[in-house]
Amino acid sequence: MVRYLLSRLLTAIPTLLVIATLAFMLLHLTPGGPFDSDKLMVPQIQHSIEARYHLDEPLWRQYLRYLNDLAHGDLGPSFQYRNTSVNELVAQGLPVDIAIGGTAMLIAVLVGGGIGLLASTRPGSWRDQVPMSLAMLGISVPVFVTAPLLILIFALRLHWLPSGDWVSGSWRHLLLPSIALALPYTAYIARIVRAAAIDALAQPFIRTARAQGLPASAIVLRHALRPTLVPLVSFLGPALAGVLTGSIVIEQVFGLPGIGRYFVTGALNRDYTLVTGITVLYGALIIGLNLLVDLCYAWLDPRLRARH
Amino acid sequence: MRPLRSRPVAALSLLAATALLLAACSGGESSHGSTAVQVGKALAATQILARAVDAGGMRSIDPSLSTDVPAAHVLDDLFEGLTRLDQRGEPEPGVAASWDTSADGRTWSFHLRSARWSNGEPIRADDFVYAWRRTVDPRTASDYAQALAPVANAIAISEGRLPVTALGIEAPDAHTVRVHLHAPTPYLLSLMTKSYAYPQYEPAIRAHGDNWVRPENIVSNGAFQLHEHVIGGRITLRKNPQYWDAAHVRLQQVVYLPLDRAVQTERFFAGDIAFTDSFSAEQTAWLRARLGDQVVSAPYLGNFVLGLNATRAPFAGNRALRMALTLGVDRETLVRYVRQGLYKPAWTVTPPLPGYDAPLPEWARLPEAARHALARRYYAQSGYSAQRPLRIELHYPTDSDNRRTYEAVAAMWRANLGAEVSTLNEEFRVQLNERHLKKLALFHYAWIGDYPDPYTFLQLFQTGFGYNDGGYSNPRYDSLLNAAGNEADAARRLRQLAQAEQILNDDVACIPLYYYATRHLIKSYVRGWTSNIQDRNLSQYLYVLEHEGQ
Repeated sequence: MVRYLLSRLLTAIPTLLVIATLAFMLLHLTPGGPFDSDKLMVPQIQHSIEARYHLDEPLWRQYLRYLNDLAHGDLGPSFQYRNTSVNELVAQGLPVDIAIGGTAMLIAVLVGGGIGLLASTRPGSWRDQVPMSLAMLGISVPVFVTAPLLILIFALRLHWLPSGDWVSGSWRHLLLPSIALALPYTAYIARIVRAAAIDALAQPFIRTARAQGLPASAIVLRHALRPTLVPLVSFLGPALAGVLTGSIVIEQVFGLPGIGRYFVTGALNRDYTLVTGITVLYGALIIGLNLLVDLCYAWLDPRLRARH
Repeated sequence: MRPLRSRPVAALSLLAATALLLAACSGGESSHGSTAVQVGKALAATQILARAVDAGGMRSIDPSLSTDVPAAHVLDDLFEGLTRLDQRGEPEPGVAASWDTSADGRTWSFHLRSARWSNGEPIRADDFVYAWRRTVDPRTASDYAQALAPVANAIAISEGRLPVTALGIEAPDAHTVRVHLHAPTPYLLSLMTKSYAYPQYEPAIRAHGDNWVRPENIVSNGAFQLHEHVIGGRITLRKNPQYWDAAHVRLQQVVYLPLDRAVQTERFFAGDIAFTDSFSAEQTAWLRARLGDQVVSAPYLGNFVLGLNATRAPFAGNRALRMALTLGVDRETLVRYVRQGLYKPAWTVTPPLPGYDAPLPEWARLPEAARHALARRYYAQSGYSAQRPLRIELHYPTDSDNRRTYEAVAAMWRANLGAEVSTLNEEFRVQLNERHLKKLALFHYAWIGDYPDPYTFLQLFQTGFGYNDGGYSNPRYDSLLNAAGNEADAARRLRQLAQAEQILNDDVACIPLYYYATRHLIKSYVRGWTSNIQDRNLSQYLYVLEHEGQ
């Protein structure tokens, strides 16, 4: 097990290296530099700014410098937010995304999972068809429609919740963006859980459980739940990485200071270090969460444990 | 000064989303945010104001480094220069209580009042000397060092040719700042209200380096002090009790929220924001119907111009073609139908300024039909015809408002001349880059002036000027601009500038389309603001009346 974990962690390093290299190269290939032309600049000052950020060095040296900093956990100085490092920006933005993304995932798993299980017990009945049609709607309607609709209803009409902004530790500010972000994931999870549960409920061991006269709720929760979780977990890994690195649309609509927003403005302003840093972070999160998913598989499915 | 940046709205879909939201709102008259709000006459008990600023910009609030408009609003509240803007947006005494000028207009002595920093220390003349030197010091790497160009030796210092001590500013005593200019600068008092001319508190910068602008470290001298700053997010200011004019400051707290244009409107309706930075032009009629006089628009110091490349085909040496194109645009139609009547049609590079009458080209007074006939005649003269139409690309930075404008312009040229103009949008930085390299023949060339003076616009066409992206060059024009730069007599200077502008008209150096206007949504309970051409409303003059939903 430990060997497996170690080998997985070791293979992550070249993957991250490729991600960092690609992000670095692509950004430097884009026309326009971070300090180009936004203002009329005295050439000497342009040089002095470029020297400060090592942009006057040959690209290969900038690249090695970047990798060296990266290896030491330093994502470099942000170009667009002068006097601020990318580490500071991530430290400031990530908690916001973790709070919203975490809450959204919790809502999605509980609500989506519940609906999926409920639907699976009577496939084809109204208990199945109504929630599944709603789920289809949840998947198809994009966040930039649902988020303003939620604001319209709960903030502008009912005045129950604030229409945006971020106040650390305030659940009222957390709720609307989390729900908006959770909606499509809830729908996905409901469909995944339903399909997996129907599959699981058709297994011979469930028939045995039924034959032993166990109540339906005990069959679903005690016996069918575990195998149902396998496809769910494989979905959750990348999904969690997605919500943690920020939902750009949600952040824009609710005016939240999360990472997604830095990412977009960073790309527009050619903030090389910021964009590369967030890309690498995103890559690391996906790799880490995928590893976690694989470990969960082993716990959920004894057959896989035996194979390793 | 700066080229106007199109707002980097990350997701265009946001616009669609807000349109949807607003459409949904329109079902019934809502009780909030609209004209229905009851506004009392007394001051509200809590004097807190939430203002929105453009989401794209704020890069730094260090007065020496800051260059963007959102940060300028915050800095207007945090710091004060030798002069400050009054409620109408005109310069008036700030830290300097009075000043006098030498006969040649090149030496100014500012006499400081006894004002204090937010930590209680007195403001000394040396604090200005330190700050200005820091701005032009190449080591500060300020991309706005050239803003202090009128001060003697500023450019040479920023180029590393002279030491910072050579800068034309001195402190003969603790209460006098003496400024030496290399040319008379009638707009100096206006420049002194800008961030790069603020005093700075040296001990804070020495102690904290780059981090001196953090709330826990910053020492400022304006009506407000920094309480909270989330990078790229909310900025909270609180009243500065040490401010010399604190007795007249009514707001206790100001919150700045960087938000996209579409979101600003939505949050205004929700009542979270009382003063927005902008709204989408296409929603103007809808907003006016709902919000009445809370929709505020007034002339702004900027022009919306199409640049013509004078160094390459088809415009080089073809004045007839340039005439045909400028005559072939129906500006009134453009302004009324595409820009919702918000902007004013432009015939000149310089927008209307107090005290300056930009000379109109003769053809501007012609009726539309006569203009079209003239346009067709010039088009024929230029060597193009229905069989051999002008085929050209019009480049502009991506923005939905820009797209509508330029597609309308291309359609007008097609209808009026038969020219085949295709519009091509690019990302802002890409377009800027290509413009600088003079690769583009016909391009978006909007410009927001730095100070209310024609020079800030006219220098765009000076030979060798860094932003002369059309490569226009006329020795007569250059010499008039130089003469105006050295002219101490204000009236004669403006006449020289007007003569220079006449040359631009005659040469058709570019195609002015319209002058910009400010766009705000301001709650009816917010008072103390005045529309002004620089669009700077200092929070120290604003206050909040009693209102529903407090």
